[in-house]
Amino acid sequence: MFQASRYCALLGCMAVIYATPSEAHQLKVFATAIGQEIDGRAYFANGAAASGAHIIISDQAGKQLTQLQPDAAGQFHYHAPAAMDLRIIADSGDGHRAEWLITAAELSAPADTSSPMVFTAPTALPTPPVMANQLDPMLIAAIEEAVARRINPLRVELQHSIERLRLNDILAGIGYIVGVTGYFAWWRRRRDTSIK
Amino acid sequence: MAHLPDGILIAPLLITGGGVALGLLTYSIKHLTDEQLPQTAVLSAAFFVVSLINIPLGPSSVHLLLNGLIGVILGWAAVPALFIALLLQLVFFGHGGVTTLGINLLNMALPALICAGLFRLFIPRRPPLFWLGAVIGALGIIMTSAFVAGELILSGQAFLPTAQLLLITALPLAVIEAVVTGAALRFIHQIEPQLLPRTVLHQV
Repeated sequence: MFQASRYCALLGCMAVIYATPSEAHQLKVFATAIGQEIDGRAYFANGAAASGAHIIISDQAGKQLTQLQPDAAGQFHYHAPAAMDLRIIADSGDGHRAEWLITAAELSAPADTSSPMVFTAPTALPTPPVMANQLDPMLIAAIEEAVARRINPLRVELQHSIERLRLNDILAGIGYIVGVTGYFAWWRRRRDTSIK
Repeated sequence: MAHLPDGILIAPLLITGGGVALGLLTYSIKHLTDEQLPQTAVLSAAFFVVSLINIPLGPSSVHLLLNGLIGVILGWAAVPALFIALLLQLVFFGHGGVTTLGINLLNMALPALICAGLFRLFIPRRPPLFWLGAVIGALGIIMTSAFVAGELILSGQAFLPTAQLLLITALPLAVIEAVVTGAALRFIHQIEPQLLPRTVLHQV
């Protein structure tokens, strides 16, 4: 028992030393939308680009809309055909797969077909104002796009920080293992004494 | 590599894997002795932590599995040790998948059991402990990778990337795992020989 406890202590020390915020090597995919333009990146959780992965874009029903190949930095771009829920699936073909959902709300209504970066007024408004107020829907779309452009880098950072493994999660896991072992030992002992 | 997520493997593989894993788990828990409990927990924790530590390697990164070492030390108890760690990795970090839990367990536990058998088979010949450990460590990784590759191919993944996975990531990892397992076994034998299976104690 003494030896076992020393071994435990050794492993415990190793765990604490190694458990600085490290990251797993899972495949990840993350995408944001500005207007109807979807920009995303496929990467391994250690940050390396997953340029070899396939990106499959499908609708909510699972119908594949397109298949893309990310560039060397793992980035890809897609022009959404309409404001609809889109599933973005990255598959590296070697047993790693990740999924990201772009909701219809993120893709603003197709106000115009030009690039969202250059806001040019079309000759005629394609849609009548839907809101009760008097704001121009083109203006609302422009505001939504501008806000999305500002917020997206923050969302990328937030996603990275969520994905980072945390020391307390690792310690919690070890705690669970100790707990399960204790429970098992107790259950065994109870069973043994009840037989006697 | 070894933590297959949901939605990749075909259903018959998942069901068979789950069933076999459940059988193995039941059998091994029934045969788990009280003396083995602390060791099982320690190695379960070691596996839980070590497979979260990544070593960047080429385009991707790999992590140690230690399934050879776990098999040698724990024997049948390797199955519940790996199961608990895999379950917790799934719950805490989303590694692997719910439907693939059984097959992921088999992918790691079967090589562990085979390694345990090989170790007990060869130890009476008194080989150098480091080299025996090295071979066992490497075999643990190679067998797990071969299982994963086989399942991916059966599930219709393209053959080439799967074969590339084996060559690019499994072989260098096998070398690292070989050194770690060999060194760990020799270290344990020198410092705490009681941790090795009893049959080994009398023979080395």
